[in-house]
Amino acid sequence: MVEKTRTTPVIAAGLALLVFFGGWFVVTGHGWGHLLILAAWGGYLVSAWLGIRKGSSAAPFHTPLLTSIMILLAVYGIVLYLGSYFWGAFLIIAALGVYALEKGLKDGKEILKESLKASLKNLMIPFFGFFSALIIGVFIMLATGYDPIESYAALFYGGLVKNWSVSILNATPLIFTGLSIAFAFQAGLFNIGAEGQYYVGAMAATFFGLYLNLPPLLTILLIILISGALAAAWNFVPALLKVKTGAHEVITTMMLAHTARYLSPVFIRTFGGDPATSTHAYVTDPILETSFLPRFKGFLPDTNYRLHIGILIAIGVALFVHYLLFKTRIGFEIRAVGQNPNAARAQGISIGKNIFRALLFAGFLAGLSGVVQVLGLDHKLFLNLSGGYGWNGISVALLAANNPIGVIFTALIWGILDAGGQYMIRVTDTPNSIVEIIKGIVLFLIVARYIYVYLGNRIKRRSLRRIEAKNAAGGRA
Amino acid sequence: MIDMILASQIFNVDLLAASIRLSTPIAIAAIGATICERSGVVNIAMEGIMIVGAFFALWFSALTGSPWIGLFAGLVFGGLYSLIHAWATVTLHLDHTVSGAVLNILALGITRYMMVLAYGHPGTSDSIPVTLANYRFAVPLLSDIPILGPSLFNQTPIVYIMFLLVIFFTWFMKKTKVGLHIKASGEHPYALETIGVSVYKIRYLGVIISGLLGGVAGAYLSIENQSTFTEGMTNGRGFIAMAAMISGGWTPIGAFLAALFFGFAEAFQLRLQISGAVSIPGEFFTIIPYVATLAAVAGLVRKSKAPKADGKDFIIEKED
Repeated sequence: MVEKTRTTPVIAAGLALLVFFGGWFVVTGHGWGHLLILAAWGGYLVSAWLGIRKGSSAAPFHTPLLTSIMILLAVYGIVLYLGSYFWGAFLIIAALGVYALEKGLKDGKEILKESLKASLKNLMIPFFGFFSALIIGVFIMLATGYDPIESYAALFYGGLVKNWSVSILNATPLIFTGLSIAFAFQAGLFNIGAEGQYYVGAMAATFFGLYLNLPPLLTILLIILISGALAAAWNFVPALLKVKTGAHEVITTMMLAHTARYLSPVFIRTFGGDPATSTHAYVTDPILETSFLPRFKGFLPDTNYRLHIGILIAIGVALFVHYLLFKTRIGFEIRAVGQNPNAARAQGISIGKNIFRALLFAGFLAGLSGVVQVLGLDHKLFLNLSGGYGWNGISVALLAANNPIGVIFTALIWGILDAGGQYMIRVTDTPNSIVEIIKGIVLFLIVARYIYVYLGNRIKRRSLRRIEAKNAAGGRA
Repeated sequence: MIDMILASQIFNVDLLAASIRLSTPIAIAAIGATICERSGVVNIAMEGIMIVGAFFALWFSALTGSPWIGLFAGLVFGGLYSLIHAWATVTLHLDHTVSGAVLNILALGITRYMMVLAYGHPGTSDSIPVTLANYRFAVPLLSDIPILGPSLFNQTPIVYIMFLLVIFFTWFMKKTKVGLHIKASGEHPYALETIGVSVYKIRYLGVIISGLLGGVAGAYLSIENQSTFTEGMTNGRGFIAMAAMISGGWTPIGAFLAALFFGFAEAFQLRLQISGAVSIPGEFFTIIPYVATLAAVAGLVRKSKAPKADGKDFIIEKED
């Protein structure tokens, strides 16, 4: 036991570094990076096996073996699928199979069945809501004279197959802004001005991208950290005001969002934009190539050229936020403040400190959205660069019920709808604003969740009353 | 140094008139939000309500040719749209902020789709020939008062409506039974319920008043200040109105005065920008109203107190 606590963190850190550099070499087009990942896997298995032999770990050997195989299958499958290699889906399914096998071996079949049922039940309401939104969409299209079958076929063929890479490019910034808003919501704060932090992040990334000339990996890491920190600083004043005076963050962050939005043209003109010329009017100079995010094309030759690894960073950050919120002391404090500030204060949790933590980290996350967009996709700052990612992040976060993992999926759905809508107006004459309506109705899912509770309560109350009446009648007789 | 001629170009009678004009939508929306929050419902959907009101006001003006019908349509559709907020927050007990955020987003979708239906393209609508600005009139006698007269009493219809609303709602909240019930609903809802007044109904009323006023505020933008509807034309005014409500201490008259300050900031920056007195990028002037709002909220928020039960869900077991 003693030995385990001394060595394991060191080994874990070493393996993580191996995986990180392996991953980096793979995405920059060096196939031998796979070997580093394989080596890390081997190292993990050996250390797990040794741990079991020494008796410092009670788990049977198949647990680390199956878990690591599952993670490998899932990661490779997801990356392939995101890169339009759709057979990656088989790897994902295999990973799910391995997960089920491992859980079945550990807990027995009954528990496996029950957890399957529970997760299906959790997915019921979102699916039901999404489906009914699509059906309402059919009626709207019929009423306004468009062909719903043709439109939906185009929408989903475009979003899921033909323009899949566009869907992912749309989803990437949304995951970050969604995470930002979800994180603040967990602390009971509404970071409605994520759009502003997005702009600050994008401006900072452009500035450092223009002038920071270091090796690529270092440049990218530095830009992400510094620009994220600046975006976090943009939320400093709202956090301070919230703590000192109680000024509502909805208003303060919103005003700062508009401020940042109006300052971006000044920035663009300062760094290369020239309104006098028509070709270069509202764009900065392009950033240096050392700060470009690697593209999928480097290791998956058949993907769309524009697709960059921002989506992988986004998924990684989402997993980190999930870990932070639900597995650490900081996350516990933040959620405690969000759920019941008075109870949290009674437990000795500082409210002000957690407001600062939540708003600053939310600013950091929203800033990353702009950073990744500049470093990965645009490589320069456009006027009105943001397609409303800050505002749409609100929907994404609400739809995911502020769950960081859920945000990945809701952002993807939003991205798919947008990309599909663009494809739809090209091949049919249906206006793609129908997509906006469908999104709005899907959003009502959230309300719908309460409608179920409301209707459920009414039915329950009515049947209770009936039973009471029956009992009363029975008692009298 | 700014010379005297420039100074007189910026600070003149027109500045006051322009301040009042620009503060009108903010003031009307802020009074609506004040009533809503006094009843205990937080309404961050003002922005969405205004944009819905702005679209329907313009569309009905275009359809009927009369901006007065357009104004009425803005009023009605603002009220209808706020009904969703009332239903979601009061009946379904949804979080007020969440519902407001959803309605703001939905409003963008609805107006965009309606734009495509009505005009065949998103963006900006065709302009209407007759706007409410054509009905500008000077109040006899009063408009002859030096300085104040021309800016206060030579205005367009909705500006006068704003003055009336300030007076009406100040009286309404202080002197009428319903007004007192609205106040009680935001301070001690359970006490109000025990004396036999339905908090649900009072809160519905509060939200609907904010919707009606929000619709009028939106109508001001599309059919009085301009003659077209542009997507996103509210540009954060709904939120500035909320700031005015807070800075004004949750009273109609305070909301009006705060809105006047924001209107002044806007008018001042526009003038400064046009005059070319200071040679820095115009965007630094554009942000003045937003920064002023931030500063006002920062400075005044501690002194003004929100209704005690503002934003608190009210649940009561009802026999149905």
